[in-house]
Amino acid sequence: MADKLFLALVTREREVVVDPDVDQVNIPGFDGDMGIMADHAPLLTILRPGRFSYQKGDEEIELVISHGYAEVTNNRVTILAESAEFLHEIDHERAETARAAAEKLLEETGLEEEAFKEAQDKLFRALARLETKKSD
Amino acid sequence: MPNLRDVKQRIKSTKNTQQMTKAMKLVSASKLRKAQEAIQTARPYGHKLRDVLNHLVARCNNDLHPLLDNRTGNRVLLVVITADRGLCGGFNSNIVKMTQELIEENKDSDISLFIAGKKGLDFFQSRPYPIEDKYLGWTKDFGYLKAVEIGEMLAQLFVENKSDRIYMVYNEFKSIIQQEVIREQLLPIVPEEVDGGDMTDYIFEPDEEAILEDLLKEYMTTQIYRAFLESSASEHGARMTAMDAASRNAKEMIGKLTLFYNRTRQAYITKELIEIVNGAEALKG
Repeated sequence: MADKLFLALVTREREVVVDPDVDQVNIPGFDGDMGIMADHAPLLTILRPGRFSYQKGDEEIELVISHGYAEVTNNRVTILAESAEFLHEIDHERAETARAAAEKLLEETGLEEEAFKEAQDKLFRALARLETKKSD
Repeated sequence: MPNLRDVKQRIKSTKNTQQMTKAMKLVSASKLRKAQEAIQTARPYGHKLRDVLNHLVARCNNDLHPLLDNRTGNRVLLVVITADRGLCGGFNSNIVKMTQELIEENKDSDISLFIAGKKGLDFFQSRPYPIEDKYLGWTKDFGYLKAVEIGEMLAQLFVENKSDRIYMVYNEFKSIIQQEVIREQLLPIVPEEVDGGDMTDYIFEPDEEAILEDLLKEYMTTQIYRAFLESSASEHGARMTAMDAASRNAKEMIGKLTLFYNRTRQAYITKELIEIVNGAEALKG
């Protein structure tokens, strides 16, 4: 029985986190947020843009990720994300602008379904980034 | 006796060449650093994605998705990635050579080409193989979005049954002085066998099909993206090495020519002296 998780969080641009002993990982899964601890059942999910965090001892480290995948097997958690930022890296001004732009887009009627989804995605990403600011 | 002015001229022009090769080497070195960083940070993502995909596909039925369709057909599309510019040693010709080998191996098939880079096009446009599409000037504007675009185009060709097999030929970046020509099957995607690993009772969110669809596309795009980055880093590496060698050769040549110049100059002087002395002796007599 292992009681630690191996966590690897990578994006196309960099390896964000590679940590061999993590206690708990909280991911924004497709159908809802999940907390993953050691000996979790194998799992593969698409990720929503949102808050991602992991606990190591008493410390909790938070990040914001956008669309990606998470796989859990044999106490290894692999996160493949389109982007991942630590809280202190987030540019709130940019997120605010992005949110305004996305909201404006969504108010327009007669958007194609795909364009609508894209705008919605953008809004979610912006919201995820902004949300973390309030809790600071 | 050789003309001294000609020799001097040659020394000068060789010096000019040396200056140019030196400058190109420096430019490549700085570009290389960026390209190398890009590829080294992109690699882990590709590897991890491949692992996840292998796990997933190992559990799924292979005819679940059209991109996995391993059909027998004889229309082969080769994606050939060369550089837009030359002066980089065997970089482009190695690609061309490997492509020709691949064509030779598949000579019973219908071959068509997708060519990235001007140097590849220069070679293949006068050959009898149809060029499906080309992508010139990629060294300037390539980015992830471009990879998505190419990926979508290739996937469409494959899904619409216009092509049965798609290969990529590109240079992989091993180190600054070493590139390796790689040929890789892009479509259909062939998952590797995964050993061990308990594949039962996987939880999928939302469901297998949706994840597979998403993951396969992402995987293909990442493959293309990575191939271009590898190629870019290799190109700068190859050019740097080639230009370094050229600078060294130029230096050697300048050395030889200068030696020759000085010797000849001395010979002229000696000859003139002898003539003067002889003339003086003759007058005495």
